[in-house]
Amino acid sequence: MLKLIKATFLGLIAMAFTASSYADITFVSWGGAYTASQQKAYVDTWSKGSGVTVENYNGGLGEIKAQVEAGNVTWDVVDVLPDQAITGCDEGLFAKVDQSSFINDMVVPPVSDCVVPQIFWAYTAFYSKSAFPGKKPKNIKDFFNVEKFPGKRGIHTWANALIEMALVADGVKAKNVYKVMSTPEGIDRAFAKLDTIKDHVVFWSAGSKPLELVSSGEVVMALAYNGRIGAAVLSEGKDFEYIWDATVLEQEYLVAIKGGNEKEALEFMAHASTAQALADQAKYIPYGPMRKSSIDIIKKGEPWFIKDGGNIDIMPHMPTAPKVLKRAVIGDPVWWADNGAEVNERFGAWKGN
Amino acid sequence: MNETITGPILTTDGIPLKVSLQKSEKRNKIRAFLLVVPLLAFILVTFLIPIGDMLLRSVDDSYINTVFPKTFKEYEKWDRQGLPSEELYKTMFFEVKESEGYAIGKASTRMNYAKSGWKSLLKKSKRKFKKIEEGPYKEQMIAIDKKWADMEYWKAIGVMVDATTAGYYLNAVDLKYNVDKDVVWQKENRRIYNQTWVKTFKVSILVMFFCLMLGYPISYLLSTLPLKYSNLLMICVLLPFWTSLLVRTVAWMVMLQQKGVFNNLLVMSHIISDENRFALMYNETATIIVMTQILLPFMVLPLYSVMKTISPNYMRAALNLGASPLHAFWKVYMPNSIPGISAGCMLVFILAIGYYITPELVGGKDGQMIGNWIAYHLKTTLNWGLCAALGAILLGVLTVLYWVYNKLVGIENIKLG
Repeated sequence: MLKLIKATFLGLIAMAFTASSYADITFVSWGGAYTASQQKAYVDTWSKGSGVTVENYNGGLGEIKAQVEAGNVTWDVVDVLPDQAITGCDEGLFAKVDQSSFINDMVVPPVSDCVVPQIFWAYTAFYSKSAFPGKKPKNIKDFFNVEKFPGKRGIHTWANALIEMALVADGVKAKNVYKVMSTPEGIDRAFAKLDTIKDHVVFWSAGSKPLELVSSGEVVMALAYNGRIGAAVLSEGKDFEYIWDATVLEQEYLVAIKGGNEKEALEFMAHASTAQALADQAKYIPYGPMRKSSIDIIKKGEPWFIKDGGNIDIMPHMPTAPKVLKRAVIGDPVWWADNGAEVNERFGAWKGN
Repeated sequence: MNETITGPILTTDGIPLKVSLQKSEKRNKIRAFLLVVPLLAFILVTFLIPIGDMLLRSVDDSYINTVFPKTFKEYEKWDRQGLPSEELYKTMFFEVKESEGYAIGKASTRMNYAKSGWKSLLKKSKRKFKKIEEGPYKEQMIAIDKKWADMEYWKAIGVMVDATTAGYYLNAVDLKYNVDKDVVWQKENRRIYNQTWVKTFKVSILVMFFCLMLGYPISYLLSTLPLKYSNLLMICVLLPFWTSLLVRTVAWMVMLQQKGVFNNLLVMSHIISDENRFALMYNETATIIVMTQILLPFMVLPLYSVMKTISPNYMRAALNLGASPLHAFWKVYMPNSIPGISAGCMLVFILAIGYYITPELVGGKDGQMIGNWIAYHLKTTLNWGLCAALGAILLGVLTVLYWVYNKLVGIENIKLG
């Protein structure tokens, strides 16, 4: 009896100890349907004793650098774009990660030592079926052809992906795009192509905006994040149609901020990057998992996307579906980490003149 | 008893009165000072130190010198004609190979501002240099990446050699150092800041002007109407003021876009045809319209508070003495309201010049202001030196304007209420 009491007592102490040694963590992501998918796929299923507070941000490394430099880190895990994953890791803002558990299971190798894989998303052109009752735009050349398909185009306010798409529209093969972009003439060529639609564009900077622009008829075609288009089609029944040509495939990663609750952050990240977690995320949003085995799980489980009144096949909405991938540009974050500032300044000058 | 006082007046305890007074005076001063210490400390910590830090950042270039001290020394010997000597390659090699922690990563971010491409070059080199055991290093480095044979990269180092630099300020006005440290223009297609500066001032001045034009009559009405009407009008002014900035901005989008309320009304009433809808959104016009509406209360409130104090008798007297209404307004009412005009204009101008979120949302292709570039570099490129320089220029320009204003109008002529 005494032994039992003793054991229970010790057990309780141990439990109290483990519970208190686990700090709560703050997980920062982009908000909207995307964060909601993360919440359901791996925040809600996280049961390691530490609470997870979810916050939204607008991208960029400004806040993170400020927190690390001031020694007052309040964010622990952040969802970042690949070029920022590179810069942040170089600058020592992120903690190093043990990548052995997933490195051989990834579609592309990770961009730095500080990341765990999340998803592929893509800049994708789309239109509303009602805007083109007759002939419909089929490829990126049609997007850049305002004579064949008159009307305004919605494009984003920064240069990433626009340069790539302009070059493909100008006849460069998708796989050669970065080779061409690495020459000064290549960039000139892209801007020359952009010139042809300059008087027909409306700029957007928030991800929900292009859908609004197309819905309201403000523009006839727009570029958007494929997941937003997919969510509008799948969940809201909008009559949008993808133009699966020269989509620019971008990566998305999780990182742990240095000086935050690193131990808990890294454990949470391991949980959030399992093949099952990434596959589960696709139940709620059509973004492509970065792990090969996640895709197998999804294919076996189709119809995978959860919807009231019957699930829907998700693979046709994935930016990593084989038929899409064949015509896609795989975004090169290293190129953008190198040249982003210069090209974006030039893009700013182009916009303003 | 005819005792005359010689020497200083003493207090009862024998200390000269003057000293004693000074002592108690001093105590009072210290007490008064202690009362303001929290405020002073607050201002120091939240205001002066950050601004000081910003100014330092805008000229500081010392970090890179701690990463490549030997290379930079060796660099001075290079004649900048042909490729550098083996010696320079060798020092570079060892400083990259033997650097610890994040030194190379941080340095490469800085070097990438000087020449795009340094970032990946150093990263790749750091990884591959590990395998190189012995010289000659020049060929082996070039074999790793052809960029090592590109003079442009070597030339770019020249502008980073000094621990303090004016480079960020030059960048902020579309200039740069060339290889001989002469100041030259930035490449033509990258010149973006000067046109943005001009636009920022143009938009701010226009917004200030429109706010004044719209705000003056409203304030006049507010200050002369009977209380029960003026209260209602005041609520109309304040209600949007209390509404979220984003909500108002989005509301304007709905109003002004091509298929928006305003254009639809015009088309429906056959004033314009369906093809010729006005482009009022996602351009500079939109920035000006929306900012004017958002900043209007900052003009109305100081104007109103000053106009409230102008006695209606002044105008009556002027009219009574034979002035035409216009003349009376110009000579009597307007000069009395100058403190309000000054305060309103200053407030609106200063707020407008740093505006960021509204131009970002409605500015589209040509409505972006300098604040948008500061945000871009702050968040995406992490070029905080350039941000600091842009911010410092903004601060400097405002200080100069303030000084000019003080000379022209006088700062005592400003009244917020």
